Amino acid sequence: MSGAEHDFGAFVAARATSLLRVAYLACGDETEAEDLLQTALERTYRKWDRIRHDSPEPYVRRVIVNAAISRARRRAILKIIPMHSPPDTPARTDDPDLQHVLREALRALPPRQRAVVVLRYWEDLSETQTAEVLGCSVGTVKSQASKAMAKLRSALGQDTVKGVIRNAHA
Amino acid sequence: MPTLEDELRRLMADDTARLHAAPDLLERVVRSHRARRSRVKAVAVAASVAAALVVVGGPAVYLSAGPAPTAGGPGTTSAVPEPPAIDDTPPAPTEPANLGDLGDGKEFGHVKVGYLPERLVWGNWSIDHGDSYSTSYNYKGDDEGSYRVQIFVYENGAVQELEDRLQTYRDEEEGQEVTVGGRSGYQVVTNVGEDGMAGTPTLFLKLGDRQWAEITFSPVYAKEFRDAEAVTAELNRIGEGLTSTL
Repeated sequence: MSGAEHDFGAFVAARATSLLRVAYLACGDETEAEDLLQTALERTYRKWDRIRHDSPEPYVRRVIVNAAISRARRRAILKIIPMHSPPDTPARTDDPDLQHVLREALRALPPRQRAVVVLRYWEDLSETQTAEVLGCSVGTVKSQASKAMAKLRSALGQDTVKGVIRNAHA
Repeated sequence: MPTLEDELRRLMADDTARLHAAPDLLERVVRSHRARRSRVKAVAVAASVAAALVVVGGPAVYLSAGPAPTAGGPGTTSAVPEPPAIDDTPPAPTEPANLGDLGDGKEFGHVKVGYLPERLVWGNWSIDHGDSYSTSYNYKGDDEGSYRVQIFVYENGAVQELEDRLQTYRDEEEGQEVTVGGRSGYQVVTNVGEDGMAGTPTLFLKLGDRQWAEITFSPVYAKEFRDAEAVTAELNRIGEGLTSTL
């Protein structure tokens, strides 16, 4: 195995699970997430000699997120929200209502807004970094994040949010 | 009190905690990469052989004489190779349906193209899915498979699919409603672009209740114009010239 292959193997071993989770959050389907990740890694492997010296993770993340958006748009799946497979391990149960409503609201977001939410609040990327991933302006990230959060709040209903959060801490 | 952002983080953490990359992911990536490289080589070899056949003619007799070697076939190798994994098997090549010889490309399916920008010629390519079909235009000498302008047409059942896509743009407040030549439409720069491409300027135009057209400029072609306004003007000219024969 060459040094480059070894490096790539080490990168996959270290980061694949984290990237799979980003893919899942971006597309909402486990099988599709695995496919997105494999496709992104194949592209990365082809360009590894060029990418390996920088940080490859942002590149893979960018491919995953944008491919997820492109696929969602192409398939017009917004109206056909993927069926949710219940997790093997139960989610935290202190606020199941909120989790359910929030999950469905998150899934119902348009793909780009969902991507912004995932990148900002899951990956903890700054607005500038998020803009770089999505290939758009910081202003667009701000407006998309603002719209997404407004939709989530609206879907939940402000009372629900306050109530459930209060219950969770009661 | 946790904020909505905190709740989102917790939800996402809970929803993804069970997910772990497959242990054979690296192997699949490398294997797929090699299979792809082999396919590319095979296509290149096939293309060069085909070219040799066309140019030389005579040696075709020799090239086609005798049984073609098959991978793993008797006598080709002393060791029997393992059968390829299912996901290594390239899909059987199938020729997609097309619209046939379109001549200058100014009439295809149920539409007529009244205006094309200067120097653009039919790309000698089309695809026909029945309710939707498409063809493209480029410059003489452009690489095969590239395009400068592509027109998609959606009819009957495919119109609903297109309207769903348009609704997506509206939901995300991307693009804008337009009227071109007295017909309603939607203008947007599509595709975020996996490689950070600037995007594809696109005009969706309603040709009738059961027919829509999507006119797109490739990002490369769009760069030839001085600015976005010039791109839009040219897209509109093509749209205005498009007529339905449905």
